[in-house]
Amino acid sequence: MAGLISGLTSGKLIDVAGKNIWLTEIGTGDPVLYLHGIPDIHGIEAEPMAFHQALARSCRLIAPAHPGCAETTDDETLETMDDVVFHYLRVLDALELDRCAIVGGGIGGWIAAEIAVRYPERVEKLALIGATGLMVPGHPIGDLFWYAQADDGVRYDGLRDLLFAGPRTETGLGMIPDAKDDIEREMLKYKVFRFVSLIGFKPPYLYNPRLRSRLDRYTNPALILSGESDSLVPRVHAEAYRDGFPDARLELIAACGNTLVAEAPEQIAELITAFLAG
Amino acid sequence: MHPVKLFCWHFMAYPYLPEDFDEKYDSGWVTVPNALWDREQAKGLYQEYIDQLVYADELGFDGMVLNEHHQNIYGLMPSPNMIAAALTQRTKNGKIVVLGNILPLHLNPLRIAEEYAMLDCMSGGRLIAGFAVGGGPEAFNYDVSSPRARRQFWEAIDLIARTWTEDGPFEHEGPEYPLRYVNAWPRPEQTPHPPIWVPGARSRETMENAAERGYAYFLSSRSHGDQTRQAAQAYAKTMAKYDRTYTPFDFGILLSVYVSETDEQAKIESQEGVWYFLRNCLKGHLRTKGRTLTWGPGIPSASPESWRGFLEQWQFGAKQLGDTEDWEELDERASIIVGSPETVRNKLLALVEKAQAGNLLIQFHFGNMSDELTRKSMRLFTEQVAPALRSESAEIFARDFPEMADKETV
Repeated sequence: MAGLISGLTSGKLIDVAGKNIWLTEIGTGDPVLYLHGIPDIHGIEAEPMAFHQALARSCRLIAPAHPGCAETTDDETLETMDDVVFHYLRVLDALELDRCAIVGGGIGGWIAAEIAVRYPERVEKLALIGATGLMVPGHPIGDLFWYAQADDGVRYDGLRDLLFAGPRTETGLGMIPDAKDDIEREMLKYKVFRFVSLIGFKPPYLYNPRLRSRLDRYTNPALILSGESDSLVPRVHAEAYRDGFPDARLELIAACGNTLVAEAPEQIAELITAFLAG
Repeated sequence: MHPVKLFCWHFMAYPYLPEDFDEKYDSGWVTVPNALWDREQAKGLYQEYIDQLVYADELGFDGMVLNEHHQNIYGLMPSPNMIAAALTQRTKNGKIVVLGNILPLHLNPLRIAEEYAMLDCMSGGRLIAGFAVGGGPEAFNYDVSSPRARRQFWEAIDLIARTWTEDGPFEHEGPEYPLRYVNAWPRPEQTPHPPIWVPGARSRETMENAAERGYAYFLSSRSHGDQTRQAAQAYAKTMAKYDRTYTPFDFGILLSVYVSETDEQAKIESQEGVWYFLRNCLKGHLRTKGRTLTWGPGIPSASPESWRGFLEQWQFGAKQLGDTEDWEELDERASIIVGSPETVRNKLLALVEKAQAGNLLIQFHFGNMSDELTRKSMRLFTEQVAPALRSESAEIFARDFPEMADKETV
């Protein structure tokens, strides 16, 4: 489908209960739902993200944008994670996905985990990439919102440092350039932040205090991926996910931060593909 | 005749920062270490500031203005209602303008309805009730989700107005503030209720909501130029949409003034306080250096459409008021007007005529300005600026708003 706004070309719109959902759908095979994080809002380039392409070599990848993000209709009543979970139940129903694998990055990982503990029967396998969502006393998740306010009005060093392996990595500068690169990109970022602000600004801050004690409800296999230099979500959160799920393993990815899908797309796509096939 | 209304706005800045504050700290807001609070020096500080507001009442200002800020050096009034309560007992004539209570920061709007009703009764019906949604620093101060705050804000205002006008007990169904029993005692002295003022930064949503309900709009901007006039015109147009006729008293602006005998003298006397205010108090708020918390993707309160409009205009890294380096630049921004009575009078009159603003909310105290200089400027203003400002503005308004002639304005 041709781009609705400039640059938005690698996605399409579907109707779910009267609302538009913007999604990228590529590949064939078993369905895999990908839930995005903050910088990896997809469908903004002419081609799907490298990570999506790599994963789609062996599955049918479906990557919707969250409410209010990209071209997905905003939900004026959205307040809590529960609302987001119900939103995705409708999306899964509309796509006729009774059961599928779910992969989530950052806050998308949090959403994926919330779906899995509530409706374990609908989740074949679960892969979490730098997922927020847990409260681990003494190890807070970094303040994304604070650093989304540019340094000296122009530089996003602080934000990139949280989301990537350092403040000025090539990948980070490419995805979150110093202000302002172009308005469409700024708008995409702004809309993701609006969504995240609704579910994760007011404490609990990017987490659900109850989630950790519910992880045992999801008993299918889980793969937890964490960047060794992740300064947004401390390592102990990935370990807590691993320890909380009955059947989970943790892989640490060297020289990467939180946004593994962009920092090591081939490497983690390979790990996830093997995990899904296993 | 309807002359401009002149209000004295006190922000109550923290005046005892170390000289190297700007070098050492990246913000005067939210994270500015409270270890810098000097208990010894700060003794009597609130008294000094309250006394200045009492002095404003004695000098004949139309009112005193207070507002709410948290965890910052710019304004030491986490609870403006406490200062307002003190003023009810120490002032006699002026309106007490609280601009405003930041509604999304409070657990329950009923508490604000109750406190404002108390203040109205305690002041003999002199309260002007302001309601603010809060900005970036406030979102971080109290962990308020910015998009959610907008929803809470208007529901809270409507609930408060209903509390003041409708006999209780009644039930409020929410969705943000469901309450089984709404039945506030006391009720405000003024009928149907104290005038309501709402600050806004030109966003369409705020203007629509305020105009629809017939509230006065206060332009929340520290710089003035063509945009001030455009905002007034936009508000007039929005009011017309709801069959309301704009008068200058539906619109207020914030100005800062320092008056002395001559232009030169005024600059010499105010220099320290003005630049303390620009460099320190605005750092984190209206200054590019450091981290501005006032707007941005981290506190996405504006609708995506409004944000797009902002992005199209805004030059990232552009100088803001707090980055002002010299008097010449300051002059261009028409934000802080410093000079002889004649200079200040002419500049204010030009602005009143151009912007058609009837409520001038004027800051006289800057940063660490001394009590003596603050009072001197206030006195010179009332003696040598206000009389002409009042009479000439009355003529301008009589000419431009003839339909207002036999109306009472609040």
